[in-house]
Amino acid sequence: ELWKGEEKMSIVPKETIEVIAQSIGITNLSPEAALMLAPDVEYRVREIMQEAIKCMRHSKRTTLTASDVDGALNLRNLEPIYGFGSGGPIRFRKAIGHRDLFYTDDREVDFKDVIEAPLPKAPLDTEIVCHWLAIEGVQPAIPENAPLEVIRAPAENQIYQQKDGPLIDIRLPVKHVLSKELQLYFQKIAELTMSKSNPSLFKEALVSLASDSGLHPLVPYFTNFIADEVSRGLNDFLLLFNLMHVVRSLLQNPHIHIEPYLHQLMPSVVTCLVSRKLGNRFADNHWDLRDFTANLVALICKRFGNTYVTLQSRLTKTLVNALLDPKKALTQHYGAIQGLAALGHNVVRLLVLSNLEPYLSLLEPELDAEKQKNQMKSYEAWRVYGALLRAAGLCIHDRLKIFPNLPSPSPSLLNKGKGKVINTEPNKRKLSVDSSENRSPRKRLIATDGSDGGPSPMQVDRPTGDANPPQNSVHPSSSEQASGGNAPESRNAKENQGSKGRTITRKAILDQIWKDDLDSGRLLVKLHQLYGDRILPFIPSTEMSLFL
Amino acid sequence: MDPEQVDEFVMGYLKKKGFNSAAKQLQEALHHNNGGTFNSTDYHNDPELTKLIRSFSQSENDPTRYRDGYSKLRSWAYNSLDLYKHELLRVMYPVFIHCYMDLVGKGHTREARAFFNSFRKDHEMIHLRDLQKLEGVLVPSHLEEMEFARSLRQSKVNIKICQYSYDLLLQYLHRTESTLMLGIINEHINFQVYSGQPNSSSDDIDAVTIVGSFQETADHINQKEIQWGLLEDSLEDRLEKTGSLLSDSEKGQGESKDGDVDDSKKRSNEIGKQGSSLKKLKKDKAGNATAKVARQETSIVSPAPRVKPELALPVMSTDVEESILEDLRNRVQLSSVAMPSVSFYTFVNTHNGLNCASISHDGSLVAGGFSDSSIKVWNMAKIGQAGSGALQGESDTNDQNVGPNGRRNYTLLLGHSGPVYSATFSPPGDFVLSSSADTTIRLWSTQLNANLVCYKGHNYPVWDVQFSPFGHYFASCSHDRTARIWSMDRVQPLRIMAGHLSDVDVSVSLTIVRCVQWHPNCNYIATGSSDKTVRLWDVQTGECVRIFIGHRSMVLSLAMSPDGRYMASGDEDGTIMMWDLSTARCITPLMGHNSCVWSLSYSGEGSLLASGSADCTVKLWDVTSSTKLTKAEEKNGNTNRLRSLRTFPTKSTPVHALRFSRRNLLFAAGALSKPAS
Repeated sequence: ELWKGEEKMSIVPKETIEVIAQSIGITNLSPEAALMLAPDVEYRVREIMQEAIKCMRHSKRTTLTASDVDGALNLRNLEPIYGFGSGGPIRFRKAIGHRDLFYTDDREVDFKDVIEAPLPKAPLDTEIVCHWLAIEGVQPAIPENAPLEVIRAPAENQIYQQKDGPLIDIRLPVKHVLSKELQLYFQKIAELTMSKSNPSLFKEALVSLASDSGLHPLVPYFTNFIADEVSRGLNDFLLLFNLMHVVRSLLQNPHIHIEPYLHQLMPSVVTCLVSRKLGNRFADNHWDLRDFTANLVALICKRFGNTYVTLQSRLTKTLVNALLDPKKALTQHYGAIQGLAALGHNVVRLLVLSNLEPYLSLLEPELDAEKQKNQMKSYEAWRVYGALLRAAGLCIHDRLKIFPNLPSPSPSLLNKGKGKVINTEPNKRKLSVDSSENRSPRKRLIATDGSDGGPSPMQVDRPTGDANPPQNSVHPSSSEQASGGNAPESRNAKENQGSKGRTITRKAILDQIWKDDLDSGRLLVKLHQLYGDRILPFIPSTEMSLFL
Repeated sequence: MDPEQVDEFVMGYLKKKGFNSAAKQLQEALHHNNGGTFNSTDYHNDPELTKLIRSFSQSENDPTRYRDGYSKLRSWAYNSLDLYKHELLRVMYPVFIHCYMDLVGKGHTREARAFFNSFRKDHEMIHLRDLQKLEGVLVPSHLEEMEFARSLRQSKVNIKICQYSYDLLLQYLHRTESTLMLGIINEHINFQVYSGQPNSSSDDIDAVTIVGSFQETADHINQKEIQWGLLEDSLEDRLEKTGSLLSDSEKGQGESKDGDVDDSKKRSNEIGKQGSSLKKLKKDKAGNATAKVARQETSIVSPAPRVKPELALPVMSTDVEESILEDLRNRVQLSSVAMPSVSFYTFVNTHNGLNCASISHDGSLVAGGFSDSSIKVWNMAKIGQAGSGALQGESDTNDQNVGPNGRRNYTLLLGHSGPVYSATFSPPGDFVLSSSADTTIRLWSTQLNANLVCYKGHNYPVWDVQFSPFGHYFASCSHDRTARIWSMDRVQPLRIMAGHLSDVDVSVSLTIVRCVQWHPNCNYIATGSSDKTVRLWDVQTGECVRIFIGHRSMVLSLAMSPDGRYMASGDEDGTIMMWDLSTARCITPLMGHNSCVWSLSYSGEGSLLASGSADCTVKLWDVTSSTKLTKAEEKNGNTNRLRSLRTFPTKSTPVHALRFSRRNLLFAAGALSKPAS
């Protein structure tokens, strides 16, 4: 035992030699002999250890065991040291009062106890478990594989205790402590979101959420809360709306680092966009919720699209799938269209317009009042139609907006522009009036039940209203796109529609650009074929004049 | 310096040393001749030597001189100009170890130890392992006994150094008259002075080569010609020749081409069975070869040259051949953009007993060699079929130690009487060879699940055994410093590759061979050893034909590229080196692992190298870019050494074995090292 202990020491003192000599019965060892032996003992021990390390390497291990030392002794034709080959690493204890003396804990065992002890459990037999470490170079996230970020952590936390106690100590994960104040704050916000009784207070809460610093520790709780409540409260329209407001406030807060939680948040948000049913009453204006969420989604994409490269592509994939699945409800289609539209005109052009024609042919029977007797369905169909029209219109408008030197907008023109928009409506009404005339009884039903179109007792106005919202919402959404002055320009363009003469001088320049942009031209022709005149309000007058 | 003065010094020296009779003789000789002796003229023009002699006559036995001289030289080197510093610092290590060994050699154990400990930190970073070895040397007899120390004292170190640094060093040594240091430097360092600016990279691999005269020998050996090409008429060759082999007509041609060859092969096989000599076989082969060479000339040039086998190769049965061809045809093309899939076999409940693992060429069989002398073979294909078997993972490892059908899932092979250090499958997977600490190699049949042959020949534990790429032959290496070539049908080895170099009288015989690997054309084997070198041996002549120097620690694993052009070797520190076999130069060191590299494997077409390490990762390296970039590197001198493509961490499982299947699926195996809770 003592001999084992000396391996740890850098040099063998002669006292050790004397002690060992005594222990094997040599009492008359001269001090000189001990002094001479000491360096040689050290050399031999080192030699043995060197061999032992080689044995360890050949056993493809990185920890030295007693059996390696035995193997090394065997290689030198020496008697192995018996009694240490337990397989596992040996635990050494420090001798009290000595700096560098260690011994193994070798307790006395009563023979009777050993005999009477029940048989130990048979050791488990060796087995092989097979799994994919990588599939075509990518590591699948299965329990058999090491999670990537955890890889380094244990190495840092490991504390090697070479003396007493366990060899390795792995620290437990640190508990996350929330201050009392934060807990209260969270509870209050959650209550407000759930209760829906105090809208003004809730608004203030939202402001606080959007601006207060120090809320970061609550983010995981909020994301969890939102995910839970959305999945549970799909029938509760107001709750959903409140939750989406909370999401927006969290996104707006500059002190919150929300990125790591986006993956938890996104499903809830997308649910509020494309779920089949949001809320359980007719009065619930889930269209609004969808519009709001669509803008939220666009906001997220804009902010985190750079860091999460796959974010937008995954999102658009989900939305396009929802849109192109004819089995999905029209409400879901609406949400998908709004979501895509909010992502910008490029997305619309690539994903919506390319599928526009087949989709409209599918939608046609729904729109036709004679074929679709279900009032509700028909309403939804018109809503979807409107959303599509708006998306397509905005897209084409943005395409055509490239033309540079249009006159700068002025507030007075803007006001006039609004009037113009209404002026274009009769175009639409033409088509919708005849379709809506023979469904007046049911129309009234909706009109009374629906709270959104409050001042619309007139049945004839309904369909107009249906087609209208998209147009009215042109303003907020195009300003959302925030490329500065889009909205005024569009208004301006519409204003110009009335006074073609003013811009006719630019025809030559525009003509040139127009030719360059054949794509837009074709698109416009296509859209016109599909939509008829209804696309025209979206088209700046100059271009329209060219087109016509 | 006067000749009288010289004589005076010599006299003083001799008297001091106690060579009284020699001193007397010298005195007599001086009286007889009038001073114009040959020895004095010799010393005239050599100031270094006179100084050296003078130093001998001075306080010869003072051990503190070493310490003083070294520490002065050291502080001078550390304070030298930054541009030349790294070159001058290279000189310090050889001076350090020789100072230490001189001190030990003169019996100043205590001073030697103090000297060693005070300066050891300087060199630990690069030379830790050598220092650990030397640390134990304490009395003069150890110097004699320890081969490493002996070889160090008898050889010179080559150091590349620029002209200016060299001048600086000499100037310093002369100015300070530190003759002791000068003596050591003269005795043990061989400067390779080059003109121009010093090399910018401070860690140039070739800059310092420790074993100097050995280096010359190695250079000499590396001049020998080797034919690294693939075997002509190998399956790969045939596949290349006949293109994709998809159309039947083409295939028919290929067969008719090889028809006569096959016939003669069969004939030779029959002869072999009757036990006729190898020579006859060789004649047969040679006859074929000439015929084939003629045909070869007409065929289109392929990238790797073709060589003829020097061993009579076993004949494959046609259906085995067909299946291999089928595999080769279906091989997935891998590159730096097309990564392989990796299937991992985890050994659980090994209780720290798994010493080695091996995977058959198709990945269906896995063998483990254990420290309790047993070998266990799993048939993964069967387990897969059983469905509920081990594939389902943890559930069946927790509380049952028998398979789903109430029996063990593996075949237990018992026969060895010591830890099993290596196991290898024959290419078709019908045999397993195992080597053990009981000095034997055993051949097992996987069909009969029984031991067939026990090969006794080594005198010490057999560390590694490897089947040749065509089966039948195998190579082994052992602690007895030999590598041996065997054939399955003989219990005596065919060749013994002894560790020393036969043609030169060099004392370096510390080649304790650690691992062995066959060249794809079967004409060569490579051995990695604890002296940090890798050697290539000609199987037919038993000669060492290449020595690869560059590793800084024990070489643990070897792999040959499928085209036979390159070799990869992995060492204890985690460094992998890629070697060009023909030039014996390191193409690129691949750094990335931080622990022992247990296993290496090239992908089927040689574009990727996989490495498995004790740091619980499998890494993929881009071979093509590694080899290409060095050409550019040679031009502009910059080195970007990391060309690691992927790292796959395992769940605390050191990777013991790796194998690319013929279809380029990568199999890996290792033992879960967490203690079972």
